[in-house]
Amino acid sequence: MATGTGNREPQSFERRADERGSGGFSSETVTTLAIFGLCVLLLLASRFISPAFGSLSHLQTILILSSFLIVAGFGQGMVIMTGGLDLSIASIITLGGVACTTLGHMGSLMAIPLALVICAGVGLVSGFGVAKLRIPPFIMTMAMGVIVYSACLGYTKGSPWGSAPEAAITLMKSDLLGLPLAVYFVVAFALFGWFLQKRTSFGRRVQAVGSNARAAQLAGVRAARVTMLVYAASAASAGLVGVMLAGYADGATLRMGESYLLTSIAAVVIGGSSILGGAGTFLGTVGGAILLTTLGTIIQSLGVDEGWRTIIEGMIIVIALLLLRDQLYTKIRMMTSALPGR
Amino acid sequence: MEAIERPQCVHATGLRKSYGATIALGGVDLDVGAGEVHALLGENGAGKSTLVKILSGIVRPDEGAMTLFGEAYSPQSIRDARRTGVATAFQELSLVPNLSVAQNLLLPRGVKNALGLNSRKRTIEAGAAILEAHGLGRIDPAARIADLPLADKQRIEITRAVNQNPKVLILDEPTASLAEVDWVFDLIRSASDRGTAVLHISHRLDEVRALCERATVLRNGLSVATVDLKGADNAAIFEMMVGHAAQGTSRRGASRSVGDVRLAVEGLSSARLSNVSFSLREGEILGVAALEGQGQSELFRVLAGAEQPTKGRILLNGQPRRFKDTGDALNQGGGVAFVPEERKTDGILPGMSARAHITLSVLDRLAKFLVLTSRAETETAHAAGTAVDFADRYQKFPINALSGGNQQKAILARALATGARTLVLLDPTRGVDVGTKETIYGAIRRFAETGGSVVLYSSELAELVQLSDRCLILYGGAVFDELEGDEIQEHVLVAGVTGHRHEHHPRQSYKEEATA
Repeated sequence: MATGTGNREPQSFERRADERGSGGFSSETVTTLAIFGLCVLLLLASRFISPAFGSLSHLQTILILSSFLIVAGFGQGMVIMTGGLDLSIASIITLGGVACTTLGHMGSLMAIPLALVICAGVGLVSGFGVAKLRIPPFIMTMAMGVIVYSACLGYTKGSPWGSAPEAAITLMKSDLLGLPLAVYFVVAFALFGWFLQKRTSFGRRVQAVGSNARAAQLAGVRAARVTMLVYAASAASAGLVGVMLAGYADGATLRMGESYLLTSIAAVVIGGSSILGGAGTFLGTVGGAILLTTLGTIIQSLGVDEGWRTIIEGMIIVIALLLLRDQLYTKIRMMTSALPGR
Repeated sequence: MEAIERPQCVHATGLRKSYGATIALGGVDLDVGAGEVHALLGENGAGKSTLVKILSGIVRPDEGAMTLFGEAYSPQSIRDARRTGVATAFQELSLVPNLSVAQNLLLPRGVKNALGLNSRKRTIEAGAAILEAHGLGRIDPAARIADLPLADKQRIEITRAVNQNPKVLILDEPTASLAEVDWVFDLIRSASDRGTAVLHISHRLDEVRALCERATVLRNGLSVATVDLKGADNAAIFEMMVGHAAQGTSRRGASRSVGDVRLAVEGLSSARLSNVSFSLREGEILGVAALEGQGQSELFRVLAGAEQPTKGRILLNGQPRRFKDTGDALNQGGGVAFVPEERKTDGILPGMSARAHITLSVLDRLAKFLVLTSRAETETAHAAGTAVDFADRYQKFPINALSGGNQQKAILARALATGARTLVLLDPTRGVDVGTKETIYGAIRRFAETGGSVVLYSSELAELVQLSDRCLILYGGAVFDELEGDEIQEHVLVAGVTGHRHEHHPRQSYKEEATA
């Protein structure tokens, strides 16, 4: 053996890596901490608007309201991780809500799982279109969204009936040990999502497919299967949002999912995930969702009209995306130009 | 140095460049005369690429001065450098994949028609003329770059730089993906005859000797020396590049004990393969020699399950097998693991750690009920990393932050980590430095010594001479010849890959004649 890396000067880029050591925080952790820091700052600042803001009960309200976006952001985040985009989320939220209320008479134990399975099945079809038929994700999911919405419209003749399953209402409306049950649920879901993404073989494969599907496939990862499962998981989590919303409002409406499409994408990107796929963490998405929800409640409290409120929210999202896009591009440029070995 | 009486063309002194805390160049001097072919030597990460980027105007040095024919030279962009007469063919290729060959050759502008609009027809004509002038008349000027094989992409990249008729021509590993180098050599020599200063970057010392009179050696961002190649033997140059002397690179003497047939291939055919048959035993390294595009990529992809043959079958330990995909190949008959050819597009997963790369193929084995434990992962990555001398301190770094050599080690470690008994290695040392090559050779030999079977393609015939127990020659998608033991000589391989049967070679292994 002529040489090993050890007895040679490591090459320059690696030298910097050596100096930094592996003890520090990863950039992912820094982004996540920054997002949560921003949430805290925003909450503190909101006290100037109304003394009720920033209180413990206000915090609970925000957590309950952001639970929908957090769950939707989980699915959206996984799809974005693979380099895709799920535009069917809004319609599938409606499908989840409509399915669980129309099936509500069967009882929670049947209605909720059945609703989720229906939604996951729809997602599996989208995933099949993307992975096997090679239809671009945004076209496939947009078409699926239109189909699902139209099916809901046709089936309910415009006015969904039934009431939400008991369990959904309990989840969103009751307390446990002085705290709303939904708060426990949000925390548990955030941990579950993070764990699935970072500590399971499935999460690892999702990231691999997003980073370089071709290379992942050659390394033995079944990229098509992973992609299909990701779209199914996204639809299932959108369906869960539908169930939660139905429980929260005790009933479904056809437009109940509308406001979660753009915001779910925004929460993922603000949370530090690369829109190009392959990088990101669910905890960042959770932070992004809480940040967006907090902003929403502040704007709402300012007493502006519904129309204006939506416009302001939309603009904030676009600005946030613009800011982060610049950061993203700079990062990519820095990474590519700083590598001497390339 | 004194022997050259040419006018000085490129002169650089004290070039320094840092990226933050990283010192890419710590003081580089370079001196190239007009009409000289000058070699730039150095391991990966020695600073060659940074120097090329500075000379071609992509990055600006922090310190140091450059002159071109005595005039101050400080290009602000690639186009600026090009106007001044410096053209570069990059190793990583700077072609636009979605444009045609002709459009790429004529970038940044196409040929206009009478209305001042880009004319497709005239662009194609002009492109065809350029191709013809550079001996590439067989390439369709209207073809999309993305549809060309890698070797042709590299030829287009080189042709584009040469066609600008520059005063200074920089070629960054022009032969990296080319098995036959005469074409490049002819271009370089005729450019040199026109008085062009050529800076030739290559890992292949014999090529450098054939072309260049002098070489500048870089190590760790410093120019160690400029040497007269006639006065320096390979060992001395190797030592300058690496910092210590080379060890036995000749053919291995004693052959390992070889066991039963593990892999047998019968009559494999596909679009680019015709009736390929061979067998591979336990503990055997089977080399495959071929010019590029002779079907070796397809053959290896079929063996690894990444592609399906149209005819023929694969047997593992006597059992016929069909691989649905690479994951399937890993799990059948002791396992077949693959190291792909193009590291950047087929190998690395940017943003993911080296450790995650090494364990990617064995996630199912590591995970209990889908859950990955950090400890099991670290142990597996450490064990496989050690086998290829991959330093543990790099395990957690994103792979794209590592040098090409370390990336390749990680990818080979991934194949080893699978525990597969057959390795399918498609040019595993492409574009890596001399030290890493030795490490990879060692890992391949050790794998074979423990009874593993290896199919190895290399674009460097010397590597096959060093490593293989037997060697197949592929030509036009068919097995042209098969050599064994001491028959495996570089001159025999050279004859074989170009379709000539070597006269001293007694064996007539296969009846099939190549139909190229």
